[in-house]
Amino acid sequence: MIKYTLITLLCSISLLCSSATIDVRLVINSGSHSLTGGAFVAAKTYSVSNTFEDNSDIFIWNHDDIINLKVVNLDSEPHGLLIENHVNISSILSGDSVSQSFTLAEEGVFRYFDPLNSPFNEYLGLSGIVHVKSVLDTSSYFYWDIREIDSSWNELIILNTPPNLVDYDPDYFTINGVSSPDINMDVLARPTGIVGEEFKVILVNNGQSIHSMHFHGYHLTIATDSKRPSHVGRSKDTFPLYPREHLVLSCTPDKPGEYPVHDHNLVAVTGGQQYATGMFITMLIAE
Amino acid sequence: MRKTILYLIFSSSFSINAQIDYSKLVVGRTTGEQLMHDGAMVRTFGFAETLSEDIKVPGPTIEVTEGDSIEFDFWNVSQGAPHTIHLHGLDVNQENDGVPSLSFEVLHMEHGFYKFKAPHPGTYIYHCHVVSTIHVQAGMYGVIIVQPSNGNQNQVWNDGEIYARDLLWTSSEIDTNWHTLTVLDHNHSSNTPHYVPADYAPQYFMINGESETQLSQESGYYYTGQNEKVYMRLVNIGYYGVRYIFPSSLNATTIASDGRPLPSSFENDTIEVLPGERYGTMIETGTDILYPVVVEYFNLNNQVVESSQNVIIKTSPLGIETENITGLKVTPNPSGSGVFNINSDILVDYSIYSILGELIIQGNSSAIDLSDEPNGMYFLQTENSIQKLIKK
Repeated sequence: MIKYTLITLLCSISLLCSSATIDVRLVINSGSHSLTGGAFVAAKTYSVSNTFEDNSDIFIWNHDDIINLKVVNLDSEPHGLLIENHVNISSILSGDSVSQSFTLAEEGVFRYFDPLNSPFNEYLGLSGIVHVKSVLDTSSYFYWDIREIDSSWNELIILNTPPNLVDYDPDYFTINGVSSPDINMDVLARPTGIVGEEFKVILVNNGQSIHSMHFHGYHLTIATDSKRPSHVGRSKDTFPLYPREHLVLSCTPDKPGEYPVHDHNLVAVTGGQQYATGMFITMLIAE
Repeated sequence: MRKTILYLIFSSSFSINAQIDYSKLVVGRTTGEQLMHDGAMVRTFGFAETLSEDIKVPGPTIEVTEGDSIEFDFWNVSQGAPHTIHLHGLDVNQENDGVPSLSFEVLHMEHGFYKFKAPHPGTYIYHCHVVSTIHVQAGMYGVIIVQPSNGNQNQVWNDGEIYARDLLWTSSEIDTNWHTLTVLDHNHSSNTPHYVPADYAPQYFMINGESETQLSQESGYYYTGQNEKVYMRLVNIGYYGVRYIFPSSLNATTIASDGRPLPSSFENDTIEVLPGERYGTMIETGTDILYPVVVEYFNLNNQVVESSQNVIIKTSPLGIETENITGLKVTPNPSGSGVFNINSDILVDYSIYSILGELIIQGNSSAIDLSDEPNGMYFLQTENSIQKLIKK
């Protein structure tokens, strides 16, 4: 299943005035991504594990931390790594590795992805989320790496046959690599909150489709929008999310209950022609 | 039975039970037939206000007042699967949210009661949330408009902009392969996944249930006065993205979305509305007669525009001031026979005009007979209102 790298607050209170140095070994693997109904598709992901994971890891770091990054390519093809505003490793040959140190000089949400064979390598799974927080930021965050899968695309890309975007017709829709109902088991994804206490949801579209995420029970406020900064401050219940766009949404619940969130392109709440096994998660709010 | 038990549990903790300001019967049925622009009849599901009323897609537009305690009495008269009403964007509590596994589902011939306090003035949606991918496509959706609490139905919200009229445009699509008996009459179990067709490839791209010639012919025009402020309520309940391209002369300014004012309004002739979204856009007509609005439907997966509809706003020489008189309802409208019934407790004096302003009939009967008149748009004028009648 999904594995997350939560490298946060490692050195506790003493770090409030100083940065931490973090060693990260990031491995590029290929394997089979398990899908709804027992299906599998070929995929490639970044992970701190030596073995293939279904979804690329989510990294949560602190502002001003120093990252000693080593990227190891265990796949048979060359790959790179670009972390928006921070890292650009253009290519790593199969079996090779590249090391780079950098300081997290900018707070915010950043996509990381393979710039090679664009957009197909990142579509296959070589894309993820980096969240750089202020050390003083005590907000509760939840993370949604949103992507969809067209099984026929995966087959073609693995065979080095570039598919045509016009033919893109996904049949699986995932958050952090899994679909409903399994996504509710992911503590990093499933928003849980308490009435009166703010939490935030980070949505990153690492897929090729446009999504339209609808929240039941609540309007949320756009805190940041990477594609349309003029939308910050809008209070909405449905949020367009274009490919490569990321949003940070803020919610302060006023009532308890369990409230769904799903793509309102309702085809995306299916998977492998089954309803409701797609992009559908619930928020759980306690008194 | 399950619904009844859940309802009793929920009601005990629901604070607005004590007083209901407005109760509305909504009937859910699965026997609709929608006439498409090419003459095809497509089977639909849908909502109506009475049992005898034909199902139309979208369902009836329901208007409520900000701050009022509202009750929807949902009566499922549909034989097969259960249905619900999800109050999209109204921020209701879990019990009234209409998601069957988290609140309750309403079985055939049962009533389900949804209660909520009408939130900020704006445009919202209601739709079935049982196997929603199928049931929304089938047509179980409509719009809820929350009017401001100050009683001014021509104001976007208290202290907001005043407009002469509003036009509601609800976009959706129909893929006829999703309207077959196999798909619509699905077996139902709450605990098992449901089959959906492999591909969604609609043949019909609609505004308010109409497309192509239904929109481009005069009977499909939307009428306003000249030099008027018109509030466009743009709603997308389909599975495609929709892009409205207004003539620049209308000075389109978007001021609201999803039932809330935007922190900053924006002036742009092009407005994208994605599934589930609503936008409130103010336009200003001039003295031109026709204002064609292009509506593009784009596939959300490849962003290819697969259909483009022309929706016409026509300014009327009559200078329409008010669209509807409270309590005066005319059915059916559109009418295929040309006979319209005025549903009113009292007889109302009226005049019927052609779109050129020619007086056709005057009277005060409960039925208006335009059967000898050509198909098209007419205006029903009473002492203090004008509304349009469509003979098809």
